[in-house]
Amino acid sequence: MSNFILRRLLLLIPIFIGVSILSFLMMHLIPGDPARIMAGQDATYQEIQSIRVEFGLDKSLPVQYVLFMKGVMDGSLKSIKTQRPVLKEIYPRFLNTLELSLVSIVISAFLGLGFGIVAAVKHNSWLDNLVMGFSLFGISMPVFWLGILLIIVFALILGWLPAAGKGGIQHIILPSITLGMATSAIIARMTRASMLQVMNQDFIRTADAFGIPQRKIIYKYTLKNALIPVVTVIGLQFGYMLGGAVLTESVFGWPGLGRFIVDSIFARDYPVVQVGIMLIALTFVLVNLLVDITYAFLDPRIRRR
Amino acid sequence: MRKNILVLFLVVAVFSMSMAAGVYGGIFNYLTGADAKTLFPANATDNPSYTVARHIFDGLVKFTTDMKIVPDLAKSWDISKDGTIYTFHLRKGVKFQDGTPFNAQAVKTFFDYVLTHKLRRTSLYKPYIKSVDVIDEYTVAFHLNFPFGGFLHTLAHGAGLIVDPAMIKKYGDNPGELGRHPVGTGPFELVEWKEGEIIKLKANPDYWNGRPYLDGINFKVIPNDMTRLIQVETGGAELTVRVPPIMVKKLKNDKRVNIMVKPSLRVIYLGFNLKKKPFDDVRIRQALNYAINKKELCSVIMQGLATPSDSPLSPLTWGYSSTGGYPYNPEKAKELLKEAGYDANHPLKFELVTPRGRYLNDYETAVAIQAMLKKVNVDVSVRAMEWGSYISYLFSNPKPSDAKYQVFLLGWAPSTGDADWVLRPLFYSKEWPPYGDNNTYYSNPEVDKLILAGMKESNPEKRKEDYAKAQKIIVQDAPWVFLYNLQQAVATRKDVHGVQILPVEIVLANNAWIAK
Repeated sequence: MSNFILRRLLLLIPIFIGVSILSFLMMHLIPGDPARIMAGQDATYQEIQSIRVEFGLDKSLPVQYVLFMKGVMDGSLKSIKTQRPVLKEIYPRFLNTLELSLVSIVISAFLGLGFGIVAAVKHNSWLDNLVMGFSLFGISMPVFWLGILLIIVFALILGWLPAAGKGGIQHIILPSITLGMATSAIIARMTRASMLQVMNQDFIRTADAFGIPQRKIIYKYTLKNALIPVVTVIGLQFGYMLGGAVLTESVFGWPGLGRFIVDSIFARDYPVVQVGIMLIALTFVLVNLLVDITYAFLDPRIRRR
Repeated sequence: MRKNILVLFLVVAVFSMSMAAGVYGGIFNYLTGADAKTLFPANATDNPSYTVARHIFDGLVKFTTDMKIVPDLAKSWDISKDGTIYTFHLRKGVKFQDGTPFNAQAVKTFFDYVLTHKLRRTSLYKPYIKSVDVIDEYTVAFHLNFPFGGFLHTLAHGAGLIVDPAMIKKYGDNPGELGRHPVGTGPFELVEWKEGEIIKLKANPDYWNGRPYLDGINFKVIPNDMTRLIQVETGGAELTVRVPPIMVKKLKNDKRVNIMVKPSLRVIYLGFNLKKKPFDDVRIRQALNYAINKKELCSVIMQGLATPSDSPLSPLTWGYSSTGGYPYNPEKAKELLKEAGYDANHPLKFELVTPRGRYLNDYETAVAIQAMLKKVNVDVSVRAMEWGSYISYLFSNPKPSDAKYQVFLLGWAPSTGDADWVLRPLFYSKEWPPYGDNNTYYSNPEVDKLILAGMKESNPEKRKEDYAKAQKIIVQDAPWVFLYNLQQAVATRKDVHGVQILPVEIVLANNAWIAK
């Protein structure tokens, strides 16, 4: 097992380099001059030129890449926008995104699993149809629309929750529901499908024939076996959330990583975007690694391999 | 004697009534769309940064809401006969928020730092200031390279807000960190800055002009225009900027919200690339000016948040003079087009490029213009571009022949509030890209002469004459279609008073108070 984890961690190195090259090229290939944007519309030629020199934008691409990687390694890389170290700028935003994603994934996992189990157990009943219909709704609803809708109902009409911003627990409720809605729907559908598949297998029929109580069959035998694909989905969804939920963050004014990276793309703040993308890629890989490790706990067969 | 007492009583009564107008206390939640980038103002290029900075710092002089220049940290000033020496008499007993005394040396330290470092606003001062000299503790003299007529305006610019010399000494080598440790003489001081989320300020109890009404201001970043507005409606915030035009009308009679609409210095225009045929022909440019109904653009597309423009300057920009502009006249437009060889059978065709979402209803304006020009047999295709790519497309061309655009939609607001900061960058023939912003490639020796004369003129009346002439010629030459002057819409809670909207697109809560 530890061998497996070590191997996966070593894989991070080529991924790190690959992502750094990709994000570097992506940013430099889109049109637009960071110095010009940063200096403002009424900037003089000297100002623009001095920003170019300050951030090495006047050098050739390979040289810029080497400078960039050097800056990443020793932490000296600075944001063009604020002239402060990129990591200092990204860190608080990353924590905010982590907070929102954690709350959101917990809510959607509970809702998704709950609804999924109910739908599977009451297979083909009106309850199943209701849950599935609702989840279809959840998947299809655009985040920005759902967000505004929730704000109008809970902030404007009812006045129960704040419309936006970051603060106490009340501030995280609407954005985490908005962000988690689609995820909980996906988890519900996945749980249902996976449960149904397991329920049709021989060992469940055997357990039933042995007269084991229904409750135990569902939670111990069916759910545990059905969980692997569900955990995968939860892991993937969590990875996506950590990448920043741009739309949710914009609607609710949540100061997270996704919004920060998008703002930085518009401002052509190359260092911030490149480091941000690398960070997202790395967390995604790490989350997947965690998912794989979870498999081993859920399924002894994997552990033995 | 009794009469005197009565008078005294009345005076006191009236005085205390007027005092009762302002209520002390309360935290003011101020919603903006974007976070400040730096709070070292001379290193900032964006309004969110200047907005916060103008609550923490003071300048030598400042703008009023109608763009007059009034004393701030300077009580008064003298200008030498030849216009090259500005001597400022400073307010006494003023302290920076960390206790450092404000004096002539502080002014010198600040400007010397700006002039000798590569800050993002250094070039606002460097071409004009030769030296800053301390005369005595509270007198400082600026020696200029030439009698620059717009000098007071550049001092009132946000970049001229004076920063504590102690901070410059401590963080001067690191502009990024300097921008995180703002210490000024202003009515509010920084408490906390959470990136992308909130900037908390608290009242400076020792402010030289008396403690502000508010206990503090929280600048909160919420990008979505609608969400910000809902926050104000529901009482979660006191003020939001950039109210969508459609909501301005809707909220006019709202009981909870006050909508304020004030002019800005921003003009929106279509620029022609004069190096591209057929836009080298003045008849075509004038025809397009006549063919566009600006009043209708203002009332329908802009929902009243704009007024038709007749000059490259907005009416509140110093030096503006009305030119009469181009009234809507489609017949005249058709006539001019015909003279230039275009009619229904040989329609004029061109591409109009525009940003989308940079200015209020920019793309919508371009599309409306497309429809208006159809009526005079001009075939326009509209292409929207993302802002970052757009300004490179317009301004980064090494030579005029590299510029691909024909007609572009753009806005300009002189952050100094002075005519020089419009006419010189945009119309002076030595300001062609990549060295300047004159990307219509306009060149008229007469205008060049007037622009230089205005810049180096210290007599305001004489200066205004130069600029009036220049405006007249530019409008006649029509390198632009002069569209409209933008207004700014701000929403506050009904119980909020004393908010000031500067035409330089800055909304101030320095003197604001919240009725209980």
